[in-house]
Amino acid sequence: MASTRRVPFRALSKAGRNTLRSRQYSSARVSDDCHIVIVGGGPAGLALASALGSSTVSDRLRVVLVEGGDLSKVHDWSMDSNAYSNRVSSLTNASHSFLRDIGAWSHVEESRTCPMEDMEVWDGVSDARISFHASDVPSTTGSPEGQQMARLTENLNLQRGLLRHLNTHPEIELIDKTKVESIIREEEGGQWPLVKLANNRTLRTRLLVGADGFNSPVRSYARIPSYGWSYNTQAIVATMFHPPPSLYQNTLHTTAYQRFLPTGPIAFLPLSPTASSLVWSINPPELAQTLVASVSQDPMVLASMINAAFRLPTVSLNYLYDVVMDARTKGVALDSEAITKEIRWREESHGIDVNSAYASSSTQLSQGMPSLDAASLPPIVTSIQPGTVASFPLKYNHAETYLGEGLGARTVLVGDAAHTVHPLAGQGLNQGLADVECLSRCIAEAVANGGDVGSYTALLPYAQERYIANHTIMSAVDKLHKLYSTEFEPVVWARSVGVEVLNELDIVKSAIMATAGAHSSKTTNNSVNNGWSVVAQGVESYASTVKAAKMASQGAIGLLGEGLQGIGRMITNSRK
Amino acid sequence: MQSILRNSIRRHATAATRQNSSVNASEISFFSKLSSQWWDEHGEFAFLHRMNPIRMQFIQEKLKEMTWEDGAGLEATSPRRSALDGLKVLDVGCGGGLLSESLARQGAHTLGIDASEANIAIATLHSQADPNFRASSPSPSPSNLSYRQISAESLLAESGPEQYDVVCSMEVLEHVDNPADFLNSCAQLVKPGGHLFLSTIARTPLAYFLTIFTAETLLRKVTPGTHTYSKFVNPGELVEYFQNYPTSLTSKTATSQPWITPSSSVSELRRIEAEVRGMIYDPIRAKWHLASRTASLRGGDLINGCNYLFWVRKPNVSPIH
Repeated sequence: MASTRRVPFRALSKAGRNTLRSRQYSSARVSDDCHIVIVGGGPAGLALASALGSSTVSDRLRVVLVEGGDLSKVHDWSMDSNAYSNRVSSLTNASHSFLRDIGAWSHVEESRTCPMEDMEVWDGVSDARISFHASDVPSTTGSPEGQQMARLTENLNLQRGLLRHLNTHPEIELIDKTKVESIIREEEGGQWPLVKLANNRTLRTRLLVGADGFNSPVRSYARIPSYGWSYNTQAIVATMFHPPPSLYQNTLHTTAYQRFLPTGPIAFLPLSPTASSLVWSINPPELAQTLVASVSQDPMVLASMINAAFRLPTVSLNYLYDVVMDARTKGVALDSEAITKEIRWREESHGIDVNSAYASSSTQLSQGMPSLDAASLPPIVTSIQPGTVASFPLKYNHAETYLGEGLGARTVLVGDAAHTVHPLAGQGLNQGLADVECLSRCIAEAVANGGDVGSYTALLPYAQERYIANHTIMSAVDKLHKLYSTEFEPVVWARSVGVEVLNELDIVKSAIMATAGAHSSKTTNNSVNNGWSVVAQGVESYASTVKAAKMASQGAIGLLGEGLQGIGRMITNSRK
Repeated sequence: MQSILRNSIRRHATAATRQNSSVNASEISFFSKLSSQWWDEHGEFAFLHRMNPIRMQFIQEKLKEMTWEDGAGLEATSPRRSALDGLKVLDVGCGGGLLSESLARQGAHTLGIDASEANIAIATLHSQADPNFRASSPSPSPSNLSYRQISAESLLAESGPEQYDVVCSMEVLEHVDNPADFLNSCAQLVKPGGHLFLSTIARTPLAYFLTIFTAETLLRKVTPGTHTYSKFVNPGELVEYFQNYPTSLTSKTATSQPWITPSSSVSELRRIEAEVRGMIYDPIRAKWHLASRTASLRGGDLINGCNYLFWVRKPNVSPIH
């Protein structure tokens, strides 16, 4: 029989009283009746266990988390102080304050996190640009988070912090290295879910929480359909090293950069003055796979391509992509020297001055006076941390409901099991944490009123609050993705005009700040949602503008039509 | 306005005490037919399921407030401990056990009674599936939730008065035949210094519109025939009843103190004697809200004009004044 036990680090727990109580718990129980079984030990599952552990409900509820993997690996994870793992999330201030409220943030190694104070976002085709500053948003001033839009945190640092926090709450039982074999419905009695574990143990539970990711077994058990699509896009992640900001720049590296390319957005997220995290979504996926594969031969290929992707006009980037895809079909290795030479030649032909920040040549690496446009671009990537390059496919997926009904009753979905979103706005993990915050609040309310935490009535407020919030964010992000991943001229035109108009409109800007999660505290959830609705509506009105522009340019009649065509030609010519 | 309670009090004065006098046979058979649906949270009783949290909130808040008022220490009023913990509680007209289960989960030694056999069967069956109430549950004490098919009158006759710290009867008063008799039985079962919690529907045009016309006739969310308008009871009638109670019934104990100071009206109730709180349904969020105390005091028919909660405390044997 496989061992079902607390993860070994529990022995280190300083809370002796609690350990004693929990020991009584596990030995005294003849049947494995639980109040809450959480399937999945990812960030959402661990955060829910943490939130319940720190709440008074853990006095009265038996909470068990089941994870197939080895949690002690996450608990014992450590990395050199100047190296970083590749999965990084921009925790919003709302997520940050939730983690602090439940007492988990103090277990996160804060020195490994980095505040995001500014954000530069621009269009790859038109170069229209928006700058966001944390100080633009009144709600950040005076908040405990200080002037930050978000805090960049390695997922492993967060998960380890949550596990360390759970050490102080041994009443929450963690069962790791144990897969869920099957989930069945009890035949008699209340038809409660029975979770059969690989170690032959069966947990009968009042509430089954699916924190079990995109292919959620809990979702299948609850017969909750989900809809979605694949973006035909791979995201590359990596940890990048670069020189620190010049002394003349009088700044720390706390700016995030994101360029919307027709192949997908590329993001440069600060982790320390000399390290940043990459999230580069690329369509077609083969291009991403080839770039990832090149790293084992010559890591500088990817570094040069990243530098180029933030700097070169799209026409030259397309040529570089062709070079990469050519090498793929021919089966030859990519050579960073050839790539660098090609980039340099392209910079020259675009008239990019060697001293400009737009030149990825070596002059930028010297510690001299930085160029005037230095702040608008990320630093030059000089190397990639070995072992950090990875890629994964992007999906959009949303469960039809978060609560099981009828035969699937007593189930609830959180995090990726409920929704998977394009990472361009960095919202996935934050949505999961917001789910957990709301669900733990509903559970606490039900317990306070003697309710049944597995009942539909107790969970309904969770579904009502989170479904709409998540749907709003997801459709806005999806629309942004579609809007920005086209080279179609009228769309680009409308987009560039739109973005520049956006820059003028403070209200829309602060709505987009919700992307970066500048709002803190639970009470502003609604304003975040409103922000996202504004984004969604804004995008919708772009779409109709685009449609009008498209019709006009295709019709090519009337003054307006000619005017648009003229603008279209201008853009086309200037790019060629 | 004619008070249905006052009329029945007068009738009571001449009527001999009958067993089960308040139980209406056709109401019992009506609810027996629906009993299988008690725990269907999407069905007939969805409104009651959603109302349950605010009933519990009101009961616990009021008990905590009174515990504090009685000068109890911090331990008794600790936020971690429910004010119901350890109390002996009777749930009259428990139906499928919606409220009884919640009371028992909060640590109350709960007895749920109902005149319908089918309801008691459903309530018992449901509680047995829940390890919280199973006798074999690992908790050291035996189950603190039990059910019996018995009327309040019969229970009183069997066990005698002054048995329970708390007597609750939620959404029952509007279904009984003789509300004054029913209230009398409930009130007698309360220990001195104990509490009586009721919830019912006011007899107002608003209540008719919402509970009968909208819920039953228009939307068919509730089986037509569930409610009878003439049986609805206004908060003022309950207040009046307890201003005259128990003096109106028993001339022998005429010296005993009325439960509510006679001069006060609904808006002047002393919070240590009685309280009326409106319950308002929000159809958008599918959620009941407990009106605030101030709104309930001042709002009159707007706030208390439909579903409302009523609390009254039985005076201690030795009056404070």
